[in-house]
Amino acid sequence: MRSYIIRRLLLLIPVLLGIIILTFTILQFFDPVQRASLYVTNPRQFRDIPAIIQKYHLNDPVYVQFYYWIKEVLRGNLGWSKSINLPVTDAIIYFLPATLELFIFAVPLTILIGIRLGRISAVHRDKPVDHVTRGLAIAGYSLPTFWLGLMLLMVFYGFFSGLFPPERLGTAADAFVNSAAFTRYTRINSLDAILNLKPWILLDALRHLVLPVITLTVVNIAFVMRIMRSSMLESLGKGYVVTAKAKGLDEKTVINKHAGRTALIPVITVAGYLVSGLMAGAVITETVFTYKGLGWWSVNAAIQLDIPAVLGFSIFVGTIVVLTNLVVDLLYAYVDPRIRLG
Amino acid sequence: MESLSNRWNKFKASMAPRVRELKFSLRRIKDSPLSIVGISIIIVFAAIALLAPVLARPQSSRDPYLIPHEGFSPTPRPPNENHRFGTTQGQYDIYYGVIWGTRTAFRVSILVVGSALLIGLVIGCIAGYYGGIVDEVFMRITDIFLAFPYIILIMAFVTAMGASLDSVLKALIIVWWPSYARLIRAEVLSVREEDYIEAAKAVGGSDFRVITRHVLPNSIYPVLVMASLDMGAIVLTAAAMSFLGLGAPVGYADWGQMISFSRNWIVGPPGNPFAYWYTVVIPGLFIFFFVLGWSLLGDAFRDILDPKLRRR
Amino acid sequence: MLVVVVVVGAVAISMRKTTPAENRVVKNPDTLVYETIGEMESLDPAWAYDTASGEVILNVYEPLLLFKGGSTDEFEPRIAESWTISDDGLTYTFKIRTGVKFQNGDILTPQDVVYSIKRAMVQDRDGGPVWMFLEPLIGVGTYSTRDSDGNISIPFEQINNAVTVEGDSVVFHLKQPYGPFIQILAQTWASIVDENWCIAQGDWPGTAETYENFNNPQTPPLQEKMNGTGPFKLDRWEHGVQIVLMRNDNYWRTPAKLKSVVIKKVDEWTDRKLALLAGDADFVYIPRANVLEVENLEGIRMIKDLPTLAADAVFFNFEINDNSEYIGSGKLDGNGTPTNFFSDKDVRLGFAYSFDWDTYIREALLGEGKQPASPVIDGLPYVDPNAKKYSLNPAQAENHFRQAFGGALWENGFKLTLLYNTGNEPRRISAEIFKQNIENLNPKFSIEIVGRDWPTYLRDMVAGNLSMYNLGWQADFPDPHNFVSAFMSSGGSLSMFQHYNNPLVDNLINSGIIEPDPAKRQTIYYQLQQIYYDDVPSLMIDQVVGRHVERDWVNGWYYNPIIPGTPWGGDYYPVWKGY
Repeated sequence: MRSYIIRRLLLLIPVLLGIIILTFTILQFFDPVQRASLYVTNPRQFRDIPAIIQKYHLNDPVYVQFYYWIKEVLRGNLGWSKSINLPVTDAIIYFLPATLELFIFAVPLTILIGIRLGRISAVHRDKPVDHVTRGLAIAGYSLPTFWLGLMLLMVFYGFFSGLFPPERLGTAADAFVNSAAFTRYTRINSLDAILNLKPWILLDALRHLVLPVITLTVVNIAFVMRIMRSSMLESLGKGYVVTAKAKGLDEKTVINKHAGRTALIPVITVAGYLVSGLMAGAVITETVFTYKGLGWWSVNAAIQLDIPAVLGFSIFVGTIVVLTNLVVDLLYAYVDPRIRLG
Repeated sequence: MESLSNRWNKFKASMAPRVRELKFSLRRIKDSPLSIVGISIIIVFAAIALLAPVLARPQSSRDPYLIPHEGFSPTPRPPNENHRFGTTQGQYDIYYGVIWGTRTAFRVSILVVGSALLIGLVIGCIAGYYGGIVDEVFMRITDIFLAFPYIILIMAFVTAMGASLDSVLKALIIVWWPSYARLIRAEVLSVREEDYIEAAKAVGGSDFRVITRHVLPNSIYPVLVMASLDMGAIVLTAAAMSFLGLGAPVGYADWGQMISFSRNWIVGPPGNPFAYWYTVVIPGLFIFFFVLGWSLLGDAFRDILDPKLRRR
Repeated sequence: MLVVVVVVGAVAISMRKTTPAENRVVKNPDTLVYETIGEMESLDPAWAYDTASGEVILNVYEPLLLFKGGSTDEFEPRIAESWTISDDGLTYTFKIRTGVKFQNGDILTPQDVVYSIKRAMVQDRDGGPVWMFLEPLIGVGTYSTRDSDGNISIPFEQINNAVTVEGDSVVFHLKQPYGPFIQILAQTWASIVDENWCIAQGDWPGTAETYENFNNPQTPPLQEKMNGTGPFKLDRWEHGVQIVLMRNDNYWRTPAKLKSVVIKKVDEWTDRKLALLAGDADFVYIPRANVLEVENLEGIRMIKDLPTLAADAVFFNFEINDNSEYIGSGKLDGNGTPTNFFSDKDVRLGFAYSFDWDTYIREALLGEGKQPASPVIDGLPYVDPNAKKYSLNPAQAENHFRQAFGGALWENGFKLTLLYNTGNEPRRISAEIFKQNIENLNPKFSIEIVGRDWPTYLRDMVAGNLSMYNLGWQADFPDPHNFVSAFMSSGGSLSMFQHYNNPLVDNLINSGIIEPDPAKRQTIYYQLQQIYYDDVPSLMIDQVVGRHVERDWVNGWYYNPIIPGTPWGGDYYPVWKGY
């Protein structure tokens, strides 16, 4: 087991290296002037373009730029994100709590609702309930994320006069959270509100989370539901379940205790996919709701050709994904003895 | 020398199980309301795409994919007798845009799925069949692609190649092939060890023959599922790119492009907040139903074709 | 699950506000919230050159003097109490006010003023505003303290001797008369900083030895902190999100009425609009296409027809790059554009008579703009009231196209690719107008319109690949020199990519700026305007007119085209909320 973990962790290195090389290959496509455009915000600076290119090494051959960049990375410096005017490492730490807060609500919701729907669907297979549930889940998945977000905003912020607003906090709450009376332990607003014992801040934070979380959840429920349904169906047909039924156990116990538990295993796998799926959804959702998290920052940076930011973000997310997959596989192995011993 | 009818009978016999399975699948499809709905939706869209020149006549000399517009006025106009679905900002006809956008959607999804499938097929087969170091190398490469946040990868490629529909197409193909490679490889691996493969090789069948005659046909089902789901997923992703401004150019008949037009018109004047609903809702519904159709179909395929779930 | 939906729905409906009388209550009465799309690049006054940074610096720091109210040629004292200019225009003396404190408590002295200017010149970052000090103080034609290889070429003594303390005054020693110098000193890059505080932050210690170390830094030294004398101080800057300013109660004039100012970066128009309607935002930036949506709404005040000092032009490229992908065959054979296409004046005139300003201004600008005759636009001194303009005239256009290239152009036709930067609707519309009108003249004329993202557009423009390119300019200071040098000079910021070299023009521009006699200056700029019409190196497309939108409980906002942040934001000192 130990060697398995170590081997998997070691695999992290070539994968990360691959990500880096891939991004630098993309860099090849960019002209130094195109990259310089990031620093040129008004026409008076056009005449300074050659100087800017020289100053920031934009014209050096790719391997030279790569060398400088790697040197800094090994010192813990991921460069300067010009699109946000912060060092990249600072930017990641700065924007992470917002995205985490979204995930803290969206992941459990998606998984719980998905499991429930999957179960219902499997148990009542091919009956109307099954078709309706599957239809709804797939409909949710077919909605373009940005479209759903904009529609929700239109109804709940416009029509209902500010019930669920965009961004993270209202003006008053924002001022309070940044004042001396409040300590921002984690910068996850709902969590901090609880730690500071301020219910009205908690309410305000939740109010702003409702729509983005709904948008993220609705689109991703189908993943979980589908896996749960098919694995549930599989285990419902298994030998030991048939035996349990024959023994006289009631339907409910059979489903919950026997079939249900084994069916959960693939859901763990889905949790891994969920993280990357949610990351992609978060990028669009954060943009639509002006919810300033990692997703928003990455789009902002990519559009402006902020290469250090794109590199830093990719490395960060790549690492998270690989680690998540590792954790998932370990959980899988832990739960299913066949894999562990095999 | 066998007679023709004998050979024909033998062929029929060898195909009989396949035909029986096919009939069973078709019956399952007919019995599943979700797949019926899915197929109907797709047929409607296919009809729209084929009949586009009839439904929305293109202006003579121009590229038919450029939406006609009268003037440049920025305010969208609601549906009227000249413009069935109204106009967007810049006076682009929504009806024309969504009709020809159907063609664009099919073009994008078929091209991407087809190319990704082809590339994935080749790589997956090679990796799975030959195994060893070839397999390791290809799998690490797909790992890298799959670990990379795909939206950022697509954005980076599109920005590098210059924003246009073609760049989006290429970027999508580059990002999408790894999952097919992985799928094919897994199928190849599972089938490789089967006895009948050993038998085929023992009889002297070449690698290529073994792969095409035995491995591929058995791997078709999960690929079919993934491909139909992807037809929808790709249109969604391309629409998202256009929404972010990285896709089709202004005035091109593309659903995502049309929604990006509507971004500033989500909320109308107070007292009439939904005044410009048609700019957002209509293109959005087209995307939604297109994706829905393919997703329902893909999901139904999964249910019907998964050997473990087929006969319950 | 169903129960949850019903409950949420019930709560939602019950919370819906119905009474309009509620917008009589002023929201956040002592905080002004401004939602916009830009973000400041830097809080360092010598580094910042964008208007978003300028707006913040304007409210936290102060220069020696400021434009008076809405005027662009009258000034009122700030850090300086009074000033005199010598007759030869070479010496500017400013008497420095006493009793002014920085926000950290330090008392302002004339030495701080001198340090501020020298510090700026020492820093002189690439792409920064400091060239506006270098030209008057070191010499016309000096745009940088470094040469083209990046090595320092201006010795420290020149910087050191340019501005000195004399008693309670500060004296500027110019190398030659420079009309707009006083205008340059009235802006944010001339803000006065606290020498001791800057040094404590690790900025330039003020010595000759450290000059090179602090020249052209990679990042601004005063990026995140501010210590000014102005009516507001920095509370916090949340990158990408917002900046919050708080009232400075120790301000040397009456403290501001607002307790705080919040400038938020909100990219979605929908979000900004909803905030404005709900009263959560007091000022918002509105894209032109959407201004009509908030006109005449209750609780909202819109101020229109604000004259700007900004203009857009389309530049003809006299020598297109051979390798350009946009010129087709590159020959006059009907399948491309020859590289010297626009060096033929008849071609340029043909295009000039093919642009429909009426349609453009009506459709692209919603009527909010006008056609300037030349780069010397309305609002600047020395505008020639009789300057001639071009207008749509297909007969004349055809006439000139027939004469172009000795008749070969009309015979063979051409294929031209016009680029615009994506997202810029007016520029796209201007391209379409050219296409429509020119293609109508001759079936062999073909124009293709292509959109490119800004970095690619910039790359192609710099490389000389574009046959025509659109660029706009906003005044650094309200003087014609700023515009003519940008639009017409061979090394101008905008014109440098078109390869238009007219030695007479360059001479006039160079003599115009150092000419102390207003009458002679007028002659020079009138002549330049005439040459612009005769030579038509570029075509002035528009000078826009601006709007400002605010909640009607806001009072005290004023407009000045030079102040950074206007017309949407601006100077917050006189602003207060209430009825």
